Amino acid sequence: MTTHYDDSFGLTTTWDDNGNARIRITGDLDWDTAEELTRTAADCLRTEPAPRRLRLDCEHLTLCDSLGLASLLMIHRHATEVGTRLHLTNRPAALQRLFETTGTSHVFGDAASDAHDTDRGNGGEQGHAAAARAPRPPAQP
Amino acid sequence: MRAPCPVLVADAVGVVVEANARAAALFPEPLRGARLADVAPSWLAEAHQRVVLTGEDSTEPVRGRHAQWSLEGHATLGPDGTVVWWLADDTERARTQAALRSEQERNAFLTEASTQMLASLNLDRCTELAVTLAAEHLADAAVLVAPAAGKRHPLAIGFDGSVSHRSLQMDPSTVPGLAEALQGFPPVPSRWIDPAVLPDWAVPDGFTGPVGSVVVTPLPGPGFPAGALILLRRSGRDAFGPAEETFARVFAARAGAALSAARLYQGQADVTATLMADLLPPLLRQAQGVEFAGGYRTAKDTERVGGDFYDVHPGAGPDDEILAVLGDVCGKGLDAAVLTGKIRNTLQALLPMADDHQKLLALLNGALINSRHTRFATLVLASVLRQGSLTRLRLTSAGHPAPLILRRDGTVREAATSGTLIGVLPDIRSTTVEASLAPGETCLLFTDGVTEAKGGPLGEAMFGEERLRAALGECAGLPAEAVVERVQMLVSEWIDDNRHDDIAVMAITAPHTTHLAAVDGHTPGRYTA
Repeated sequence: MTTHYDDSFGLTTTWDDNGNARIRITGDLDWDTAEELTRTAADCLRTEPAPRRLRLDCEHLTLCDSLGLASLLMIHRHATEVGTRLHLTNRPAALQRLFETTGTSHVFGDAASDAHDTDRGNGGEQGHAAAARAPRPPAQP
Repeated sequence: MRAPCPVLVADAVGVVVEANARAAALFPEPLRGARLADVAPSWLAEAHQRVVLTGEDSTEPVRGRHAQWSLEGHATLGPDGTVVWWLADDTERARTQAALRSEQERNAFLTEASTQMLASLNLDRCTELAVTLAAEHLADAAVLVAPAAGKRHPLAIGFDGSVSHRSLQMDPSTVPGLAEALQGFPPVPSRWIDPAVLPDWAVPDGFTGPVGSVVVTPLPGPGFPAGALILLRRSGRDAFGPAEETFARVFAARAGAALSAARLYQGQADVTATLMADLLPPLLRQAQGVEFAGGYRTAKDTERVGGDFYDVHPGAGPDDEILAVLGDVCGKGLDAAVLTGKIRNTLQALLPMADDHQKLLALLNGALINSRHTRFATLVLASVLRQGSLTRLRLTSAGHPAPLILRRDGTVREAATSGTLIGVLPDIRSTTVEASLAPGETCLLFTDGVTEAKGGPLGEAMFGEERLRAALGECAGLPAEAVVERVQMLVSEWIDDNRHDDIAVMAITAPHTTHLAAVDGHTPGRYTA
């Protein structure tokens, strides 16, 4: 095999000093892992006060199946309930295609604007968590 | 002669010339001057003869029994032709060895029994094995009393190499210890059970002679007992001793674990079978002469009910639209099966709305939305109506891969329909497209299990839409069934042994036949081949 995928799944949660949360998703979002993302995002959204924005960084997302999509829809539902804006940044083409096929693009907003969406007062997509809120430990895979 | 063990000296003709006090204590007869053959056990006298004849010390000790002891004799040859016999009491060692041997045999038996019983998840097979092994290795006969199913207890009776089954309405308290064993309490010691009070059903037909001793032991399972085991021995045989009772309990524990596993599995298999009966894709058929063929391959997992489904609902009358549905439910296993069942039932009820796909989907969506989860379904609706030589389609995708349309010349194009998945979002949108099929042309509905099937030369590439289109392009003019078979075959070859999701395809093919409309053009028509 010429291609080799590292199939370890990981979630890294960071907070910036504006009270915005970011979860970086690494690996396949599927039957085995979707529940973990739902839980991790729910933990973020449960904080008081709720984050203004929750970014799911999909740059290292290698696959998203129907349960992965169900998880994203659940996170969107939670976020809407607590008034948090959800952004899916760095969407791989396959993820965007999945949104289009399933008619859910409008739910997750504009991919183009999310792609360039940066944290004000922060280092953008590099994920430098500032000091106001300590970075949280990565979720256990 | 002082020695830490019994010592005898006998001369070449077998007469004892010397014996120490320990030897004297061992043999009651006076030793000195007596013939060895008269005072010592024969195995020792014979060994003595052998040593004298060969003129060689025995390198290996000789062993034998004497009264309640087990003795070991070592010979040393004296210069004057006498043989010195050093005797050691190895009674304890022999007993330990025998115990070890029987312990090893029991362990080997238990391991083998466990392996055999756990190898089968079939409850009947597992039950038969348990009683056969128990009857063969632990007792003369074994009766397995399963927990009551309704009012009756299923019984499996192992005796004389065969197993018979019956079910019986009985009072467990008629066998001492049985009621307790069936509740999983520790067994009553065997000596407390009077074999004479056993009811007839507990003694196998053909069991000759009275029952000598009985053991009743629970078959423990995780959470609830898997039944009880009654072991019977004939009166002529040794009664069950405490060690054997313990052994029977250990055996019963293993049997109970195996039976419980089989019972749980069977329970799950029954539930699945019940659901399957309702959820398996129907055999498709013709309606209005239009061919409908479906193919379904479930994911290669233990959970056999998948998340893909299809249905064809013929219209109320022969000139009414036929509604074909193919869909995919998020997830797998029971959750997916339950959601699939809900969707199919709801769609059935919503059939009168089928002339308006948007309305039907909105109602279906409303029926499925659930605050607890975001499990969704994607599906394609195809309303089919035959009009003269054309077959008209209305196609709507609700978040599902769009159907492909295969023309007579082999061109394949995607129907331009798209929409929102069903069951999560309060507002859904979709677009419906119309298409018409000339005779022999096909519309293919499929789930993403087809395009996302991983395989190929490197095992990692998706089958993809391009390959699907190419495969379909080669099917121009084929009947629906052949199109489905061809697509399925190519996808199967592609997947080979790789893991895959559910795969469902449905072909709708316009008939080559001519519609012979009745005279007034309104009454049901006939079709010619």
